[in-house]
Amino acid sequence: MKKINYIIVACSLIFSGCDYGELNENPNEPTQVPEILVITGTMLADIAINASHVQRISGMWSGQYKGEQNLYGALHGYEISTEESNSSWAYLYNGILAQNDVIQEGLSDDLLIVGISKIVEAHAVGSACSNWGSIPYSEAATAGIDDPIYDAQSNVFAQIQALLDEAISNLNGISGYTLPEDIFFGGDKTSWIQTAYTLKSRYYMLVKDYSSAYQAAQNGIASNEASMKYHPPGTTSGDQNLLYEFLSGSRAGDMSTDGTYLTGLLDGSPTSRNNTKTNEDARSEYYYFDTDGGNTVGVAAATAPMPLVTYEENLLTLAEAAARTSTFAAALGHLNELRGFLASGNAFVAVDGGDILQYDAYDAADFASGGIENVDGIDDTRALLREIVEERYVSGYGTFMPWNDARRLRASDTDISVPFPLNTGAATVYPERFLLSQNELNSNSNAPTGVTIFDKTEVNQ
Amino acid sequence: MIKKQFLGFCVLLLSSSFILAQNEVTGTVSDTSGPLPGASVVVKGTSKGTTTDFDGNYSISLSSGDAILVFSYIGYSDQEIPVNNQNTINVTLEESARALDEVVVTALGFTVDRKTLGATYSKINADDARQSGETGVINSLAGKASGVKISRANGDPGAGSSIQIRGANTIGGNTQPLIVVDGIAFSNENANGIGNAATGGVSQQSRLNDINQDDIESMTILKGASAAAVWGSQAANGVIVITTKKGRNKDKIDVSYNAIISFDEISDRHPLQTNYGQGTGGNWGQNNSRSWGDRISDRAGGNDEFNTSGQYFEAQDGSLYYPITAKNSQRTFVNENFDQVFRTGNSINHSISVSGAGEKGNIYLSFGKLDNKGIIKSSFYDKINASLNATYRFNDWLSIKGKANYINIKSNRIQQSSNVNGLYLGLLRSAPDVDNRDYIGTYFNSGGTPTPLRQRSYRNTYGSKTNSAYNNPGWTVNELKNLNNVDRYLLNLETTFKPTDWLSVIARGGVDNYIDFRSSFFPMFSSGSTPSGGQYYTENRDLKNLTFDFIGRSNFDLTEDLNLSLTLGYGHNNKKRNSIYAEAKGFIFNTRLKDFETLATEANRIALNSKSFFKSDRFFGVAAFNYKDVFLNFSGAYETFSSASEGVFYPAADVSWNFSDSKVFEDSFLSSGKLRASFGQVGVAPQRHRFNTTFEGFTYEDYSDPIDITYFGGGFKLNDDLGNPNLKPEIKTEYELGTDLTFFNNRLGLNFTYYQNEIDDVLLDVTLSPSTGHNNQYRNAGKLENKGLEIDFNFKLLQNEEYNLSLFGNFNNNKSKVLDLAGTDVVSLVGGSITSAAIVGEPMSVLYGSRILRNSDGTPDLDANGFLQQDSEQGVIGDPNPDWRGGLGMSANYKKLNFNVLFETSQGNDYAERTRFILGNFGTHSDVGNTVSPSQDLVDVNGDIHPAGTPTRGNIADFGAGPVLLNEPWYRGRGGGFGSSPINELAIRDASWVRLRELSLGYTLNSEEFRKKTKLSSIDFTFTGRNLALWSDVVGVDPEINQSGVANGFGIDYFTNPTTKSFVFSIKLNY
Repeated sequence: MKKINYIIVACSLIFSGCDYGELNENPNEPTQVPEILVITGTMLADIAINASHVQRISGMWSGQYKGEQNLYGALHGYEISTEESNSSWAYLYNGILAQNDVIQEGLSDDLLIVGISKIVEAHAVGSACSNWGSIPYSEAATAGIDDPIYDAQSNVFAQIQALLDEAISNLNGISGYTLPEDIFFGGDKTSWIQTAYTLKSRYYMLVKDYSSAYQAAQNGIASNEASMKYHPPGTTSGDQNLLYEFLSGSRAGDMSTDGTYLTGLLDGSPTSRNNTKTNEDARSEYYYFDTDGGNTVGVAAATAPMPLVTYEENLLTLAEAAARTSTFAAALGHLNELRGFLASGNAFVAVDGGDILQYDAYDAADFASGGIENVDGIDDTRALLREIVEERYVSGYGTFMPWNDARRLRASDTDISVPFPLNTGAATVYPERFLLSQNELNSNSNAPTGVTIFDKTEVNQ
Repeated sequence: MIKKQFLGFCVLLLSSSFILAQNEVTGTVSDTSGPLPGASVVVKGTSKGTTTDFDGNYSISLSSGDAILVFSYIGYSDQEIPVNNQNTINVTLEESARALDEVVVTALGFTVDRKTLGATYSKINADDARQSGETGVINSLAGKASGVKISRANGDPGAGSSIQIRGANTIGGNTQPLIVVDGIAFSNENANGIGNAATGGVSQQSRLNDINQDDIESMTILKGASAAAVWGSQAANGVIVITTKKGRNKDKIDVSYNAIISFDEISDRHPLQTNYGQGTGGNWGQNNSRSWGDRISDRAGGNDEFNTSGQYFEAQDGSLYYPITAKNSQRTFVNENFDQVFRTGNSINHSISVSGAGEKGNIYLSFGKLDNKGIIKSSFYDKINASLNATYRFNDWLSIKGKANYINIKSNRIQQSSNVNGLYLGLLRSAPDVDNRDYIGTYFNSGGTPTPLRQRSYRNTYGSKTNSAYNNPGWTVNELKNLNNVDRYLLNLETTFKPTDWLSVIARGGVDNYIDFRSSFFPMFSSGSTPSGGQYYTENRDLKNLTFDFIGRSNFDLTEDLNLSLTLGYGHNNKKRNSIYAEAKGFIFNTRLKDFETLATEANRIALNSKSFFKSDRFFGVAAFNYKDVFLNFSGAYETFSSASEGVFYPAADVSWNFSDSKVFEDSFLSSGKLRASFGQVGVAPQRHRFNTTFEGFTYEDYSDPIDITYFGGGFKLNDDLGNPNLKPEIKTEYELGTDLTFFNNRLGLNFTYYQNEIDDVLLDVTLSPSTGHNNQYRNAGKLENKGLEIDFNFKLLQNEEYNLSLFGNFNNNKSKVLDLAGTDVVSLVGGSITSAAIVGEPMSVLYGSRILRNSDGTPDLDANGFLQQDSEQGVIGDPNPDWRGGLGMSANYKKLNFNVLFETSQGNDYAERTRFILGNFGTHSDVGNTVSPSQDLVDVNGDIHPAGTPTRGNIADFGAGPVLLNEPWYRGRGGGFGSSPINELAIRDASWVRLRELSLGYTLNSEEFRKKTKLSSIDFTFTGRNLALWSDVVGVDPEINQSGVANGFGIDYFTNPTTKSFVFSIKLNY
């Protein structure tokens, strides 16, 4: 039996246990990181939500861009599928909301970071709410909730107004410090507070609460430096202007500004907005890109800044809100302030130093019947409003403002809205929203179905 | 707990020594050239048996003197000899071209009599597989067994192939069967790795193809769960058991040399139009991406006119290309552009083996060398195999076995599929009136400054752009390099210990280690935003797979009629994988030197790595009872492993009733008959390292505009994949019912099996509502089922000394269904505009995408112009699973001439012809090269009227509201286009096919005179035609190929490299 003893010894030696310890811990990705390393990512997500695919589609649907071919050709003709919203939704809820939970839990004592994170969230949620209408928010990104409920659009706007108030209060209470992770303002709390107020005014505008908008904008962005923009380093794919990247690779030629309504307004064609006090030559050059791609100058150059929440927006919100709730003179003053800023040459980098940049101040007579901004003889204030709205349409290029304004004004103010045409003869009405993310439709039982892009959202009824 | 149980089993095993046998029969088994070691000797009608030793000797104890012994050896005809109280029985076995498949190899690598098993085993003879002339062993299995679907990724040399047995058994887990070679698991990985995208890159190799086919003795496919349960979580996709050759000839050295030469041609070509030129809207346009330009026959003829005052391109042969000012030439270049990159491929395979045996052991040595040049110029796949297989017996109770293999693979792959550097993407989108042949040269700008080594392509005809958008195919083939080098080492050691004559204990261990070194070089001016600045990346994939088994086997009679054979074992597995990826991009200067520091600044050099670890421990047992003509087998495995939170027991049982042994069937036309039934469970291990929610680096990109955290100081985000600490393996439970029948003195053999399985706790990345803050969670959430009937038959129509003729065939109608996905409607198995997806209530892998808007009665909801519209929600648009598959072959011999033919078919499978669909958009497919002359006024999709009688480009269709004109706006819009914007359902076609898989003719020279003169024992000559004919409605592509290669998602073509048909000549010299 000696041989059998060998076996017994061998048996007992090999059964040395099946405890795998940490073997299944992920060897490639950390399970914990310092929360400060999460902040910049939320800002990139915010950029991807506000200045990428969805913004480009909104631009095509409001006469700013032209989809030439391929997917963009179809999108231009209002043919869109739910898939187009997937990325944006993931960036909003995972890219910002889930990360903010990490940041606000781990760095709850750092009110600068907490305040900034709330403003970034309010910016992204506000854009999403405006684009999609009713969206999950109060139950979103909450552990244990697989099917977050959809909050009404007006309710989401109310929640983010409150969030912005909290952020402002967080920031007001601190002294501030330099935060290199903050790619927008380097931790400058004043700029963030102003951005928060401009966002508040934006969301009041969207719900047509013009007096609150006017009030908020008083504290809004007060200088070009405080404009929240994405300033791309522009050295390589992944850190360049998003329009540049989109137009330079295999998508070259998919989108241009050739023949858009906006191009017509600027480039001296019959619909031109140039007059004796205004020459859009420089801005026309700056805004233009064709189907060749690889732009080195203008709005689609690799390093061109991409506007998110701007001084221009704040001035024009003041102007429109003043025209509606305050005096003609106040409104005109705000408009002229904007024109003065444009004339300074600081609003954008001219493509060519020789391009003409003329924005002389308007006076009341220009809006009186027969004036250069009222040749059709409508009411003075309506004429002023019409010019302010058109200026918002032009200055808001690259942001959701033209698309938001068009939908806001379509219900009640068609006389002053910008009359860009439908993109296809097959359509009779303009798009009013985006389709919910396909992934959300697949997985969230609360997601409303049967909604088309032509259905107005709650606040634009 | 389990440890104790096992030790208990050990004790039971050891204490059973009191039951011993009565009579003993001894003898020698040999063939014409000498003793056969390892031949099987089984008592007929029982599972009791032994194998011959190195001298061909055996001894077996019998409980009765009137037993019948069955002697068998793979490749030889079985012999049955009644004992009749003899004490010595010597047997000489005869080689057989198609042996009666009486013995099979089980999952643990042991040879047993097939009749004792109640599970389904398909045995494939090595010679039959070799006859296919395939360079890879996987493809050689195609069409040979029911329920086994082999599909190649494409026709590139060395490209991987997918093996699917009885349908898909998992959604997100490993889809491929376990490969066991001589009892040890053999990696059959097919991995894209870090640098290669599944939907667009190069096709990867399947590591099973590393094996030298000439080393294979037999292959047994274990389809069902009951046969494979001892392998637990590795076996849900079935098991392929391979036995390799051993030395056995005692009298002389066996030397065998085999040479195979093949010539390969493209099997299908996409038809392209030559009527219309580059441009859009009916207007010619240089560098335009589309071919919706002018009608070529309307051109003036003669030479084009150029603007020679400014920029131009000088090709390497001095040809000059300028901007064209007037397009006069009517020349087209479709064939020239094709010939620029395709050729007749070839392969030369040499293999030589030397083997022998002696008193104490045996040895087998082999060497193989394959040089395969693909049909796409510059693609190649070279392989070297060296094997050593030796056994040494120290004494009666201890022997050792050692096996060593070295494999080296070198290849160059060709970029393909959804990829601007892909071969077909650039070739098939090329305008017919652009000559691609000058693809490289010097560009001179209008100031006369030269840029050498610039790419020229149809979208960049005078080289003015740094990024050509799509590569010139010549550039793809000649300037890009996608090399790999695999060094693989396998070492198996086995000790057999026989302490008593009723017990044997086997300890065996194996190391399987390979390093796959891959590199891709995109010189400056390649297409794509990164490659246009130059890109070079390497990936070093290192896999170590250690296995160790400890197995005890015993056989004893419990009573006179009841025999038990018991196997108990323990198996340990340890896998480590490490991949290191390095990249240089944005080259400092235009060099072909593959050195990271030379190519790029530090900021443009990237290093990434990925590791994974896995361990498992298995305790397994097989108990086989035999009572008269009934065999009952129980087996099971208890397994724990690192990627699951708890251990799992996998039970199995099968029963086999050899009813023909009953006297009722004596002298009937039924020669043998067996009924079998089985039940078993096997599993799929969860993916590794999925317990925790991690933080990840990331790039946001919403349609080609990346913004990457790397460039903003670095950072992380909480992963959008939510971790799951409660992962369990997927459990597949399968029931089988079958019968094996032979009639007319074994001339007709029929096997029927009905199987039904359900896979519970299917692991998948459940799509969460994005609004939860996470996009996915890997969960045990799904449920699938497969069921189907398998039929195999073999009918020897004619059989005599000089000639025989037999028919054989197989049939399977697997039906899969996704039963549950935990509330998620759609799980995409591969990405793309048309995905292959798991959807509840549908078969696995259905094609999903944008579809036709339909009324409630199913008719298309047409727009005002009578055109199809797109449904705003996506849906199921096709099913790539066939209704049934089958193979039908004939094998004939006349004297020394043999002839084989094998047809294979797949019926009712849909296919997404995305290449053809998108070529409509580009205006290059022959479908859109037609000129029609409407007999009535027709509207197009834009509502524009095309008057009767005026010829116009397009096709006339009727979607149900009268004829309409399909022209450029249709094909570039709803009728063909990118992403989800077109109606992708229109790209789906019924791809039922029939193919002539193999046709071979062979002759053996082994006459007495020949042997004397040459001292050779034989020479075999074989000619094989492979894939010679394909009958299908799908045009331009073999519907077997798959864009994403070896994956669960299939049935999609998108500029995927084509397959081949081959003519193969083989000569085999046996000394």
